[in-house]
Amino acid sequence: MLIKLTGGTVYDPASGIDGQVQTLYVQDGRFVKPPAEGVKIDKEYDLKDKVVMSGAIDMHTHIGGGKGNIARMLIPEDHRKDPVHRSDITRSGCGHAMPSTFTTGYRYAEMGYTAGFEPALLPINARQAHMEMADIPILDKGGYVMLGSDDYLLRMLTAKKDQKAINDYVAWTMNAAKAIGVKVVNPGGINAFKFNQRQLDLDEKNSHYQVTPREILQVLATAVKEIGVKHPLHVHGCNLGVPGNVETTLNTMQGIGGLPMHLTHIQFHSYGTEGDFKFSSGGAAIAEAINKHKNITADVGQILFGQTITASGDNMRQHANHGFANPNKWVCMDIECDAGCGVVPFKYRDQNFVNALQWAIGLEIFLLVDDPWRIFLTTDHPNGAPFTTYPHLIRLLMDKSFRNDMLATIHPEAQKMTTLASIDREYSLQEIAILTRAGAAKLVGLEDRGSLAEGAWADITVYTEDADREKMFEKPDYVFKDGELVVVDGKVVHTKWGTTHIVRPDWDISVEKDLQKYFDRFMTMKVGNFKISDDEITEDGRGSLTVHGLNHVT
Amino acid sequence: MSALTFTLKQETAQRVDMSPLVCQLLKDVSIDDIAAIELQNGKRKIPVSELFDISGADTQNIVIKNSFAKLDFIAKDLQDGSITVEGEAGAYLAMGMKSGTVTVNGDVGLYAACEMKNGLLTIQGNAGDFLGAALPGNKQGMKGGTVLVKGNVGQRVGDHMRRGTMLIEGCAGDYCGSRMIAGTIAVMGATGRFLGYAMQRGTILLWRQPKLSATFNDCGTHTLAFLPILFKSFRKFDSKFAAQAIAFNRVQRYGGDMAEKGRAEILVKLPSAGQNDSAFSAESFH
Repeated sequence: MLIKLTGGTVYDPASGIDGQVQTLYVQDGRFVKPPAEGVKIDKEYDLKDKVVMSGAIDMHTHIGGGKGNIARMLIPEDHRKDPVHRSDITRSGCGHAMPSTFTTGYRYAEMGYTAGFEPALLPINARQAHMEMADIPILDKGGYVMLGSDDYLLRMLTAKKDQKAINDYVAWTMNAAKAIGVKVVNPGGINAFKFNQRQLDLDEKNSHYQVTPREILQVLATAVKEIGVKHPLHVHGCNLGVPGNVETTLNTMQGIGGLPMHLTHIQFHSYGTEGDFKFSSGGAAIAEAINKHKNITADVGQILFGQTITASGDNMRQHANHGFANPNKWVCMDIECDAGCGVVPFKYRDQNFVNALQWAIGLEIFLLVDDPWRIFLTTDHPNGAPFTTYPHLIRLLMDKSFRNDMLATIHPEAQKMTTLASIDREYSLQEIAILTRAGAAKLVGLEDRGSLAEGAWADITVYTEDADREKMFEKPDYVFKDGELVVVDGKVVHTKWGTTHIVRPDWDISVEKDLQKYFDRFMTMKVGNFKISDDEITEDGRGSLTVHGLNHVT
Repeated sequence: MSALTFTLKQETAQRVDMSPLVCQLLKDVSIDDIAAIELQNGKRKIPVSELFDISGADTQNIVIKNSFAKLDFIAKDLQDGSITVEGEAGAYLAMGMKSGTVTVNGDVGLYAACEMKNGLLTIQGNAGDFLGAALPGNKQGMKGGTVLVKGNVGQRVGDHMRRGTMLIEGCAGDYCGSRMIAGTIAVMGATGRFLGYAMQRGTILLWRQPKLSATFNDCGTHTLAFLPILFKSFRKFDSKFAAQAIAFNRVQRYGGDMAEKGRAEILVKLPSAGQNDSAFSAESFH
């Protein structure tokens, strides 16, 4: 089927197209050259005066894995307020902070998103996470495998194994867990929690393994680079949410020594200790450091006011914050030899000084980082806010007067502590397209996605230009996924299944000898069962795997 | 003006969500419009007129006749007005009720008075489990008002209850007053196992000696001056609780649950000299 998209205003930063009127052609799911004269067009969409972008990509969103289910179980009251009825083409479920899998897919698509990446794919729980993501319709998905607090890696570091052995272990785990990247959460801290340490700074030793977070980051970032994975090491740093952690974060950036590194939900890691309340913004310092260190990328993890639930592998920090649980119930748990998990419901309030300043810090970082290719639009769904708040967030970035109106309503002391009012920058449509499309595709290492160029997969979003950017982005006119029309006027009209994006770095087969012994001795699962086969993703007939290339390894 | 009366034509196979038929939502709504309101029935929606014959016009005084155990959410969030149910009621009767009165002639299902806020709920028959409880996962159950049950009640009465009074003329099942935060539950009949399980504060008032967990401590016998005042406040009800003869002020007091905050009390009537207790012997409840 040949589809013609006529005369839209195209924003495709991947091809350097910034608001030019173009006509696009789609055949068999991909963009194609304009056909020869006389070739029959099966379907034409008149996109005159419409804004055309590729499908948006959320490069950090908690949409799969055990913690999501714990979050769902913990806040049934939130689900009751947002029931989702079935229709002839969509399934029932529930929404708000941690929606059901099906609702997640529909609501993302209805905002023009066509891919989402789960950033905390625990190796031991990867199968469950993939199965859960397999139930998310329309979206493409993938995951970053979580390492750094697993006993096996820490044992290797204590035993002073060489980098090659660690590379093999990382590559093996990525293959076994079907991942596209590697994430580290509170490096070594989740493990240290099990040895009764309640905080762990960058150069503080795990009391059992005698390994510091800095060493863990160093070997993992090196491993990711050396095995050729395009997505840089995805780092949830030390001391999340602790006033004064801006120093740790700056130190983390400098200490990585030029290796590619992605700092996630950096807003939560940008706090100073100045002012009457001993809590201040480190936003400017962080943005300056990102501007300076070209090897660093970051997503913001913006908070937005309202009820949500925080779900994280960082049980050390989640345990420390459980007193703020609202409603007052929380879960912290261990996950065998791998990591942990903490789920704490949270209500961010604009009249709370800390929450209000967190809101402002996130926006400061967005606006002070110069290079839109190295900063990404996230709320760390659902930790800062549910993903359904993205259109609101886009408006905050694109509309200075709206932003200042909102700023005027927050806690007055927080207003005094932020420079937000003095920042004039407004994001352009092209910059939003970079943050949410081209930049994200490039960062994750996706080939043929996040672009409207010939040969790329036809994930397309069409918006009606509106000065109210929130309205514009919450209700696209059309969304196409792989060339199929899935959303019209912000409502799902057709569902399909996305693919799972992975990479397959090489590893030395001998790595399994030690792992076999380790699994037999310590784990509840045999090493053979730990590895997820391709069939498990594809055998139901709706899942598929898309393997992306690696950087050339020198 | 006569009461707005819904007479069930015939019982349905699937459950019915009755929450649209409450006084505050029907105020100033014409009978034709009421007849056209759609009720969720299993996976279908059916108009009120298909399910009920409608008569009368006073929307602040609703009567549901021929009611049966699949009519759920009757009097949900009721605000003023009165609803009388002739027959049985399903689950979630008077859930979140804010004010007004609800009377049911027959038995009621699970979660009656769930998270009720105020008003008076009278149940002539028996009530199911989780009377006055919180919805699963919620932290606070019944927050005020009075529930009067003339029959027996199921398990977990007053689970997570926060405030209000629950008067039970019959017996209560296991876990009566479990996880109770505060409030008063009075049970004339027998109570089951795990009475007051994980109870934080609040009072359970009993006429019969219960079987208590090890985490409740015997605090000795007391003469409590507030009890006559409490009993006096029951006089207005059409209930055994209104009778002067059932009042007492001598109790054995047990404190607990020591596995929780331990500031709750279970008060058990002490047989006082010369008082004839036979009117409330086991026979009267079975």
